Formats: sequence, structure tokens, C-alpha cells
Amino acid sequence: MEFDETALGGLIEESQDTHADALRAAREPLRDMVDLGQQARAGGGLDPEENRAFARANSGRLAGRARRAGRLLAGAGIVTALAEFIGRPAFAASGTDVQVLQTASSIEVLAVSTYKTALGLPYIGGSAANPVIKAFATTTMKQHSEHLAAFQAATTALGGTKQAKPDPAFVPVVDKAVAAITKANAANGALLVVGLALELENIAAETYVNNMSLLSDANAKKLTASVMGVEAQHVAILYAVQALLKAGDGADITLPPPAAKLPAAAGSVGFPNAFYPTSKAAPATQGATS
Amino acid sequence: MSASEPMHLSEAELRAMSADLDAMHHDLALPALKSSLTEWAEDIQARGADAPDEDTPAQRAFFARRRFLAVGGGIAGAAVLAACSSSSSTTVTPAASTTSGGATASGAAMSGGEGQQLTGDLRVVAMAASLENSGVATYAAGIKAATAGKLGPVPPAVVTFAQTAMSQHEDHQKAWNAVLTAAGQKPVTAVDPVIQPTINTAFAKVTNVTGLAKLALMVEDIAGQTYQNGLSVIKSTAGIKTAASIQPVEFQHAAILNFLLGNYPVPAAFTGVSMARPVTDYQV
Repeated sequence: MEFDETALGGLIEESQDTHADALRAAREPLRDMVDLGQQARAGGGLDPEENRAFARANSGRLAGRARRAGRLLAGAGIVTALAEFIGRPAFAASGTDVQVLQTASSIEVLAVSTYKTALGLPYIGGSAANPVIKAFATTTMKQHSEHLAAFQAATTALGGTKQAKPDPAFVPVVDKAVAAITKANAANGALLVVGLALELENIAAETYVNNMSLLSDANAKKLTASVMGVEAQHVAILYAVQALLKAGDGADITLPPPAAKLPAAAGSVGFPNAFYPTSKAAPATQGATS
Repeated sequence: MSASEPMHLSEAELRAMSADLDAMHHDLALPALKSSLTEWAEDIQARGADAPDEDTPAQRAFFARRRFLAVGGGIAGAAVLAACSSSSSTTVTPAASTTSGGATASGAAMSGGEGQQLTGDLRVVAMAASLENSGVATYAAGIKAATAGKLGPVPPAVVTFAQTAMSQHEDHQKAWNAVLTAAGQKPVTAVDPVIQPTINTAFAKVTNVTGLAKLALMVEDIAGQTYQNGLSVIKSTAGIKTAASIQPVEFQHAAILNFLLGNYPVPAAFTGVSMARPVTDYQV
């Protein structure tokens, strides 16, 4: 396999520079949320009945999801620099936006813990791993950690309690998948890991796409919009990696890949939808703290 | 799947997998989108019956803003883009491009749909349609140049990427124009008059697949960031649903392009809006 670890390190550094620029863009709405929350608190906070009505409206979808799902890995406590930008809770009432943000946090908790588990496997995070897959898993886990911190910070800024536990409906699904992964050999295990990651990334992306029309706070919308495209990008790369693994072309998972050798269909496997679906979106209140 | 035997997939099976994903898209995503578009058009018509669809303060701020393209080094035409964006849109020459596969991106002129007195969500829609037209024109020109042998050897996977991405941009354009026509307006078939001359300049310098991929990456990043920015100003819930369903797809195109170019494919934990096009790119 042709691979230059130093070069990949450089690329990740470059991407971190890009990320720093984007992070600044994410901080701006978070700062605004603190200000807005403080103003709302001064004005008496949100209507509890509104929150209950929102939860009722989502309960049917939640029940359906719960029937199909189960429980997974313990939540990871993530602290990042973003949290420093968030002040004390701005108002006491937990609005619908708070519930949506808590659910987003619960999905990110699950994503972080899943990648962490995957990186503990020798063929994903060990010396035997494909370096591109290892770098992708490591960087993606970090990006999810930052999403989690941002959603938690936004929740706190709007006066809610930050969610640090995984989405309860998806935990059994992940548990079951992890159990199968531990029994698999390296080749199939890698495929199962990629399949599980794809499932979680699609759930995250579809949930955030769906949340865009549910959120009312402008800054919560901005934050969610800045995250959903990133999850979709994870999906695109995972689809491509999955296709190469299934084709027995794992050695072609390099950066860049040997484009001339790739099958024609590999060019479009990463983005199967012209419009991002929402059929796998988690109900907005599924991961709320109460 | 057996846990002990590695699974292999042939090119035909891979194609079948792509077909399955495509079928899923048509079964699930498109009906949901049609519902959103219908709802949006009805909402615009209902509001239009009561009062003109005036811009909100947020929309006015959005329209007034000029976000300059600070692409940075490494992308062909970046400097030209920055220069172009820093000039007033009132002085920009209308685009001269085609979505019908001209040999270059500066083929037959397209001006359809510009000049309508649109405000509010409809102006956002019109701008989005013109931006999608620019995306289609870029890929169409690239495919034509590749077919003519002007870009050297073109890997089959790159051809499939370009054809599929172009097709998806066509779908996006049709979706936006469906809203316009349902609201009694003309569809926008013109390219983005501000960004297109810059694309044309950059395209003229493209001599190989790598150059074309870099140009396409810039177009995709602009599109994704423009929708991300637009999500802050669109008033209609159905409109938000539509824009939200397109933004991630543009960023997926960008991820694959970055991958093919050897860049880290997901360069940031948060996507930004520094390259977003202002709604004033649509010339009222």
C-alpha cells in the first residue's frame, strides 16, 4: 500500500487550520445564544406548555423508534474549548430547542463512544490498521467530540441541562453490532465497523436535516446547519470505503486513492441522494433529558 | 454475512448496490421533497394573496452582505474569485454559459428568469436556481472537454462522479424552479451572473482532471455554504426543509472531490459560510 504517514499528518494539520476558521464561525452563534438566553430569562423564560406539546407531538415517533432499537456504550464526557465560550444558564425553562439540542447531544455521545470502541480494534486503530481508515476514525471521533461540546454548550446557553448520555433508542442497535464485530475476523470486522459507523452517521445527518425545520432559535439553527453537512461528508467517505472493502480493494483505500484503478461505480457511491432523506431521523425529543 | 469469510463485490455488484441506493432515494427522499415543495409553493401563494412577500430584516441584511471568496491557496482561480467578489455585483457582466453541454463554460448565453422583481423567499429560491445552473454548466463543460480528449486520461470513476453530481445539480435546479413556477414566476435558467465569469476564467485554465476537480470543489463548497447561509433567512418551514435537504449533498460532493484530490476529505468539524453567495447574485 502506498502511503505517506507524514503527508497525511500534514493534510490533517491543514484541515485543522480550515477547521479553526469554521470553529470561529460556530462560536459566533453560540455567543449570541448566551446573550439571547439572558434576554429571554429577563423576559420570563419559555412556556412550559409549549414544551409539553412539543414532546407529545414527538412521542409517537419516539415510541416507534424505541421498539426498533436498544442500548449501547457508556457516554463519554467531553470537554473542549467550545465550552469555555458558554456562560451560565441563561434561563431556567427547557424549550423545544433545548430538547432538540439534547437529542443531538445524545447522538453525538453515541458516535464518540462508538468510534472510540472501533479504535480499540487492532484492524481499525492498531498497527495492523489501514492508516487512512485509522486517521479517518481518529479525526471523525474528534469532530464528533466537538459537535457534542457545541450542542451541549448551546443547550446550556438556552437554559437547559446538557445531555451527556447516549440516545437510549439506538444503544441496543450499537450493542448488537459491537457484539458481532468482536466475533468477526479482521476483514469482516472492518466491514461491520464501517456499516455501523454509516448507520450512526446517517442517523446524525438525517436528524439534523430534520431538526432545521423544528428549531426556532436562529443560533441553534446556525450551529445545526454547520454540523449536518459534516456528518453527511462522513457518510460519503464511509460509503466509498465500504464499497472498496466489499470489492476486496481495501489496499486502494489511500489518500488519494488510485483513481485510474477504481471501478466506474465507485465515483458515485458516496452520494446516492440528490436530496438528503430524513427517514432515519431520530425523533426530536428522543434524547432529551426528561 | 459470515463472520469468518471476507466478502467480495464485483463491479456489477457494486453497480447494483448503487442502483439500490438510487432506488431508495426515489422511494423515500423524492416524495418527501415533493411534499415540501408543494407546501412551500402553497405557503408563498397564500402569503402573496395577503401581502407582498417582503424581505425580513434578516433577509435584507443577507441580501446586502457581500461575502468574499477567501478560498486560499491551491485552488485555480481563487485569486480571481476574490477579486470578483470584492467588486459590486452591479458592475458584473451577465453570465455567458450553458447547461446544455457547451465545449467550454462560456458557450451560449443564458439569461432566462433574471430580472424578475422577486423578494423574500422567492429571491432566495431564484438565486439558488441560478447557482445550481452554474454547477450544471461547470460539470457539463468538464464532461464535454473530457470527452473531446482535452483533459488527458480520465478515470472511469471520475466520469461517473461528474455525471452523477451534474444530474443531482439538475435535480436541485428543477426543485427550485418548481417553487418559482408554482408561485407564478418564471423559472430561472440563467447561471449565477456574478460567479459564472469567475468560473469561466478558472475553467479556461483547466488542462487536466485535477484542475477540473479543483474547480468543481470550489463550486461545491460555494453551493453548500450558500445553502447553509440561506437557512438563516428562509422564512417558510417547507423552504427550510428543501434547503436543508440539499446543503449536505453539496458537501458530500466536496468530500469526494477532496478525497480524489488527496486532501483530507472532511477538513473541518463545522462547515463555514465564508464562501456563501449573497442573494443579490440574483439580479432583480
